[in-house]
Formats: sequence, structure tokens, C-alpha cells
Amino acid sequence: MRVTGQSSAKPPTDGAHGVAIESILEQRRRRRLVHLAMGLIVAGLVAWSVDVTIVEDTDWERIGSLANVLESVNRFVGVDWQLFPSLLKPAIETFMIACLGTLLGVIICVPAVWFGALNITPFKPITYPLARLMMTLSRSIHEIVWALFFVAVVGLGAMAGIFAIAVRSVGFIAKMSAEAIEDIDHGPVEAIRAVGGNGFQVMLYAILPQVLPQILGVIIFEWEINIRRSAILGLVGAGGLGLVFFRQMNTFNFPGVTTVIIAILGIILIGEVVSYYARKAVI
Amino acid sequence: MKPTRSMTAAGRAGEVPRDLHWSRYKFPESLIGYGAWIVVLTFIAVSVEYLDIPLGRIPAMFERMAAVLANRYYPPDFEYIMDQDYMGYVVETIQMAYLGALFGLLMSIPLGWFGSFNMTPSRRFVYPATRLLTMAFRAVHEMIWAILFVSILGFGMLAGVLALTFFCAGFAGKLFAEEIEAIDMGPVEAMRATGANLFQVMVFGVLPQVRVAFTGIGIYTWDVAFRAATVVGFVGAGGMGWYLKRNVMQIESERVAAILLSIVVLVLISEALSAIARDRVMRMK
Repeated sequence: MRVTGQSSAKPPTDGAHGVAIESILEQRRRRRLVHLAMGLIVAGLVAWSVDVTIVEDTDWERIGSLANVLESVNRFVGVDWQLFPSLLKPAIETFMIACLGTLLGVIICVPAVWFGALNITPFKPITYPLARLMMTLSRSIHEIVWALFFVAVVGLGAMAGIFAIAVRSVGFIAKMSAEAIEDIDHGPVEAIRAVGGNGFQVMLYAILPQVLPQILGVIIFEWEINIRRSAILGLVGAGGLGLVFFRQMNTFNFPGVTTVIIAILGIILIGEVVSYYARKAVI
Repeated sequence: MKPTRSMTAAGRAGEVPRDLHWSRYKFPESLIGYGAWIVVLTFIAVSVEYLDIPLGRIPAMFERMAAVLANRYYPPDFEYIMDQDYMGYVVETIQMAYLGALFGLLMSIPLGWFGSFNMTPSRRFVYPATRLLTMAFRAVHEMIWAILFVSILGFGMLAGVLALTFFCAGFAGKLFAEEIEAIDMGPVEAMRATGANLFQVMVFGVLPQVRVAFTGIGIYTWDVAFRAATVVGFVGAGGMGWYLKRNVMQIESERVAAILLSIVVLVLISEALSAIARDRVMRMK
């Protein structure tokens, strides 16, 4: 718009000016064409995906009419009050699994952060890719899969859940912490080196104080997510509320399912409130 | 420092005077740090007791882990996953994640709008209700959504898409709301002063400010949705999770290892793509 306005205000006196405007307009037309094509591709992808996943792969006869769906939903309405007392123990377990898992994850994180931050990694060609691989592996495998693996290794129970959560949270904490360390101010590091501090002292007195608030914030955030995760680990036999959920589902006690979900929401709400104030206090 | 004191301090040879010991906190406050440590350690001890964790099994665990990895999961059965059938499931997983993220993002725009403190139509009613709704969407894990939808709608990808939709709506809704809360209110007030209605303020006052951030969040949401999509099949909601579940149940560990490796590779690819896309979006700013 601006270009055409300029050209109307000052008409091109020579050919070069007109050519420049022409080329700009041409570029704009081409860009609009590209945008249109991209939009069409996206729309086509959506249509194709909808066709494959929703239209073809769904058993519409089993779903039936809207009334049938509403009837199925209606089974979940209601709360099984008698279940609440027996939910207390699994709820505490879920909470504890999340806390211990996060703590263990933080401990496992330390070498990953040390190796994974570009400016402090001890031997870049080997340790840096190693740490990155560790982080990606930890983040890309879902907690359910980790829990399955640890159930196979340590047996059923809370310990498998703790290990699964710890390993799963390493990736996020380590990645954010390593990025925080990469952004530090190098003055204190050089100062500690100049007075003869060794590598360990540099880390403890020059790097850690600079990044501690950020890392604590990340850990608290991850803890909040871990409560969510530990609430479902019972599905594969790792204790907590998930086990109760699965049991209610298998015995077709649908109000009980709703009750367990309400309990999960309750502890997550507590976690969210705690994490909000804790992060505020830290940062 | 008083001269007499320093003289007496110097008098005792080799001994550092008490006053020179510097600590950040004086006596009563210095106990808080120890108190926190004691609380944390007690909590760990109580939890270990409560959860009945067999600590004695931990040393043997590493041996067992190595044995399990070496004997059962190695070598991964790559022929199994090079199958046409499996590739079809991978494509289905990607489509499911794509649709789930798309619908979830569409749903999360009103959630972000009504759930941001500065732009919500009514601070007393709509804001807390939307906040609670967003939290509920986000708090319920994607697996639980998947189980609920499978039990209502039956097996198939529709249940998976809906589960991912609700999960993504909660995830992106919160981030959108935070992004809208951080905008500059100048343009919004200017729009209001000229008599624009709620919708116009949103489209012309808010959207231009958050467009880039929204795009970044959208790409990130797709990334997260894909990771979740690889496992919702576990409960019968379509995609490669069903393959995984079947092989886990049959204890075909070598095939499980191959499937897990394929998931890792796919997640790596999607992460790289999303990093490139987000980088480009940020540079457009």
C-alpha cells in the first residue's frame, strides 16, 4: 500500500523507478500466491486427516445416535461418596511419588547439566552430544513406557513409579538449566579462577548463585507436572491414584471413576497453588 | 572495628578472630537453612517408609537393568518395524497429533481470551470459570482423557483425536492466557476509546501483538501432542501405541525396543522441525 501511495505522490520520472515498483509488486504477488498455496496444502492435509482418522476409522454404528452418546456420558455423572475415605492413602502416595521422583530426577540431572551446557562441558566432542542424547531420550519416551520398563526391572510398586518420573523429568530440567547456564555472566567465573579456585569451586561459587533461582523455578514447575504424571502411573502397576482409577473403570463403577478424577483434580489444584507461590517466592 | 579488639585478635597467633567469620545470616536466621534440610530429609524418610520402598533392592537393580537390556531388548527387531502396516500406523499417529493439536488450538483461543485477567469480558464470573476449565483440561492426563473417550465412543482414532484435543486445549489455553496478560494495553485502550466492541478490540488490539507468540506456542503444542499421540493407542485410541501395547503384552521385547527406538527417532525429527519452524517465526518478528 505504501509503495503505491508513494508512486502516486511522486510519479516515476524514469524507467528505473517504475521497474523497481514493478518488481516489488511482483514479489508481493508471488508471496500471496505462496501463502495461498500453503493454505491450500494445510487445508488439504486437514481434510485428508479428518477423512482417514475420524470418518473411516470410527465405528459409527457402535456410537449410534447422539442420544446414545449422551447416555454413555450420563453414566459418569454422579459422585461415589463412599469411595472418598479409601482415596486418601493413594492420594498421599501419588503426592509422595511425585516429590521423590522430582528429587531423584534433580540428582540425576546434575551430570546431565554439567555435560550439556556448552560453556562448562568438560570435553565438548564427546560429553556434549552424550548429555543431549540423554535429555532427548528422557523427554521423548512417554512416562507410561518408562514405567513399563521400570516395572519390568524393579517389580510392581511405588519404586518403579519414582524411577519412571525421575528419568522422565531429567530431560526438561536439564535442558532448561543448561540453557540458563549458557547465558550466565562470565565475570564471576573469571574472578573465582583468578583467585585460584578449582573447577568445583568455580561451579559452586560463580555459576550456581547466578542460575539458582531459575533452576529452582524449573524444578517447581516440573514438580507440578509430575503430580499429574504420577496420578496415572498406576495404570501400569506403579501405585497411586491411577491404580484406583483403573480398578473403578474395570468394575464399571462409573461414578467412582468421576470421584477419582475429582480427587486427582484436587491434588493437582493444591500442587498448582503451592507451585505458584513457591515460584513467586523464588523469583 | 575497634582497635583494641583487632589488637587482641592479632595477639593470639594463628587464630582467626571470631568477628572475621562472616556468614550471610546471623544466629537465629542461620537455623532456617538447617531446618529446611531437616524437613526435606524427614519427608524423604517418611515417604520411603510410607511407600514401602525396598531400598535393599536398589544395588541389585542396576545389574538387573543391564541384564534386561542386554538379554531381552537387544538386538532390536528392525525388520518388524520396517513393515508396511507399521508405517501406516505411524502416519496415522502423525495425523492424529496434527488434528488433535489443531482442534485443541482452535478451542484454546476462546479459553485464552476469557481466561486472561486483562481482556476477559467479566472478571468476576467468566475469568475464574475459564481458569478452572483450563486447569481441569490440563490437569486430566491425556491417558485419562483417552480412556474416557474410548469408553464412551469405542476404539478408534476419534477417541484419540478428542483426547489430544482436550489435552492441547488446556495446555495451549494457559500459555495463550499468559501471553495475552503480558500485552501492552495502549492499543487496547485506543481501540476502546474509538468505540470498538469486544470482538474488534480482540482482533485489532490484541491479536497483532500476540500473533508471533501464538504461532510459536502452536508449533510447540503440536510437538507435545505428537509425543502424547505415540501412547494414547495404549488404551485403544488408535496410532502406534496399540502396536506397542500388543508387543509389551506378548513380551516381544526385541520388537518393543525397535518400536521405542522408532518413537525416539520420530520425536527427534518432529523436535528438529518444530525448532526450525519456531526459529523462522521468531525471525519474522
